[in-house]
Amino acid sequence: MKKLFLIGIKDLKLMFRDRAALTFMLLAPFLLTIGMGFVTGRFSGNSSGLSDIPVIVVNLDNEQLGNALADVFSSEDLADLMEPTASSDPEAARRLIDEDKASAAVIIPKGFTQSIIPAEGTMLDPNYVQPEPVQIEVYANPSRRTSAGVIKAIVDEFVSRVEEGRTRGMTSIVQLMSTGLLNPQNAEAEVRDLFQNVDETESTAITLKKNTEGADAVDFDLLAYFAPGMALMFLMYTVSYGGRSILSERSQGTLPRLMISPTHTAQVLGGKVLGIFFMGVAQVGILILASSVFFQVKWGDALGIIVLILAAVFGATGWGMLITAFARTPAQVGSTGSAVMLIFGILGGSFINLDQMPPFLKTISKITPNAWGLDGFTTLALGGTLKNLAEPIMALLIMGALLFGIAVVLFNRNGLVQK
Amino acid sequence: MKKILAIAWKDAIVRFASSSELLFFIILPIVFTFLLAGGTPSGNEDPRIELLVVDEANTSISQQIIKELENSTAVRPEVLTREDAQKQFNDRRADAVFIIPAGIDIASLQNSSAEVELLQQPNNINATIAERAVLTAIRRVSSSISAAQNAVNAREAKQPFASDAERQTYFESSLEMAQSIQEDAPERVTVVEGLTEDQIEYDPRANSSAGQLITWVFIPLFGISALFAYERQQGTLRRLLTTPSRKATFLLGTISGQVVMALIQMLLLVGFGILVMKLNWGREPLALFVILLCSALAAAAFGTTMGTFIKTEGQASGLSIMFGMVFALMGGCWYPLELFPPAIQNAVKILPTTWAMQGMLDLVLRGKGLVDILPEAGVLLGFAVLFFSVGVWRFRYE
Repeated sequence: MKKLFLIGIKDLKLMFRDRAALTFMLLAPFLLTIGMGFVTGRFSGNSSGLSDIPVIVVNLDNEQLGNALADVFSSEDLADLMEPTASSDPEAARRLIDEDKASAAVIIPKGFTQSIIPAEGTMLDPNYVQPEPVQIEVYANPSRRTSAGVIKAIVDEFVSRVEEGRTRGMTSIVQLMSTGLLNPQNAEAEVRDLFQNVDETESTAITLKKNTEGADAVDFDLLAYFAPGMALMFLMYTVSYGGRSILSERSQGTLPRLMISPTHTAQVLGGKVLGIFFMGVAQVGILILASSVFFQVKWGDALGIIVLILAAVFGATGWGMLITAFARTPAQVGSTGSAVMLIFGILGGSFINLDQMPPFLKTISKITPNAWGLDGFTTLALGGTLKNLAEPIMALLIMGALLFGIAVVLFNRNGLVQK
Repeated sequence: MKKILAIAWKDAIVRFASSSELLFFIILPIVFTFLLAGGTPSGNEDPRIELLVVDEANTSISQQIIKELENSTAVRPEVLTREDAQKQFNDRRADAVFIIPAGIDIASLQNSSAEVELLQQPNNINATIAERAVLTAIRRVSSSISAAQNAVNAREAKQPFASDAERQTYFESSLEMAQSIQEDAPERVTVVEGLTEDQIEYDPRANSSAGQLITWVFIPLFGISALFAYERQQGTLRRLLTTPSRKATFLLGTISGQVVMALIQMLLLVGFGILVMKLNWGREPLALFVILLCSALAAAAFGTTMGTFIKTEGQASGLSIMFGMVFALMGGCWYPLELFPPAIQNAVKILPTTWAMQGMLDLVLRGKGLVDILPEAGVLLGFAVLFFSVGVWRFRYE
């Protein structure tokens, strides 16, 4: 065991002495993480979720329903979601949207309430002319489609409530009048009573049972996705760099020398694997630590992070060993390693979110430690803990063990020291 | 001239000695171009918040509710099994799950026993939005039944029904009345699209084709530094001192060879863009050639300068990839430059990738011509002159 550690620590020391490799393993992913921070707006304070959506409310109705809708946007329920501004000038509101100052303007026209609730004393007036229906205008900002869609949905929900109340009231009144249980003289009072709280109508046919049993919402930090994404991509370079050292030692003759010492082949190979593992853990650990210190990335459960790093590096080490077992020269490992690093980077979600990829690519991505690792890091960043990581950790451990097994078979067949 | 050609040919042979070079020369660039063209957001995706829906009822009522949700401007329903939805909810991958249990049908609505469930992550804004959308959907589906029920209750409060049959008849006529009122209801909300200019000019295919072309051509051109380092390490540069060849001949041979290979690589990738991705690369062939050549010269010049600072081939190859990737990302080759904060957009003008990308997008995305790309071509040539001057000035055989 001691020999295993000695060989591993020796390889780790060698890595830290190779400035060029260190630059590539640490500086490159760090710089790319900074770039992704700029792209995603992380450094300019943009949050990944919807909040404080700027909306301009123009209430020209100034009656029951117009006021109720304006109150919806400034209600306690929507305090975190909406940032309403009142205006009395529809043209000015539209101009602000055109200038990209808000997500949408909600313009409640004059007479909106009266187009739904008849004015007092008009119901029995034979000369009364029902006003033309008027429409609430949602003037939407096309460059903020999601938030404009949310504003429209809030207006829809309000209108559906009003509409249900209106249908309910009218149905009751007309039916009662048709059965003679309500005379026209009393109808107006009944109608007024039914329309009293029309904007607060609750559905009675279907009950919505709400269940908030999960944990509190976590503000997802986009860098908690991209920083490990870059670290995992360059981890593939590190494991192939480690694998390259086996072939370098073989070509330089230090490996055969090691084999004539009282050290078993398994110990030599195990020590080299341990060295690669140490390198990977050091690389990802440093990058995670640096992201925490410099960018205050919220990673989530610390124990989960440690176990996930170990599992991800184990899975990647398996790939490093497999590449090494197939290669004949250090240069071959280098070029294959770089290619695998980039392919796994794009397939594993380091550049683009896997959800945006076609299903078959999502399936293929499962062969990469990047995809499983990122899955785990995302779970942790969303507030999960070690117990939520069973699937990615198991997948990474199985991947590492399987690939390591294949590599050992190949090394045995070809001979570890055979050039 | 003969010497220059000989050096360029030798470099080509060295570079393609291993067949794996083809992987980086053409295969990976094509794979990346293709994947990023399909994988990056085009701006036409459904921007609505995902709402997981579990439909265990599978009745006309549940289908109507889902249809109403599909019409929502805020949420996008995604129907899953309860197990899958619950797993995503437990893993916090879903903000809300809407469950329509078995037994939700007209009869259950009529006797007010219909109950649907919404699982929400607490204090989650998306879950609040989902709740509003669900309420709208169930209200639209059930409001006529709800109104009919209400009418029955109002009638019963004034005069009880003589029999269940009378109650049912009253319910049915009320339902008919409610449906008729609903059908006659005018549209009360209208959406007018504003005139806000889209800040980001973006086409994933064009951006991916131009961006990946720059990325995969600039990295090997920066790798000229590795060629110098390799020859220096091997001692072959010193051997050149013993031949009647000038420094300029060697540099010209090495650089021109790499630039020609880069142009071939670029033309292959442009061909892929035209034939497979149906991009209009070939509209202005002269302008295209100018911007490709200027880009290649700027990148080759940067590689030459790097080669005079770097000592080993290992350093050179790592730094070439690092600079290539970082310059590409910051130059807007992977994501639109407009996504960066204004200060960064100005700062990245010191990168050749920024100018190369803008020049190529002028041609393939914005439909501009030779005159329009001359500023970008001029800046790229400026980079080339600057870096070649530094490179030649600092170049040493040992």
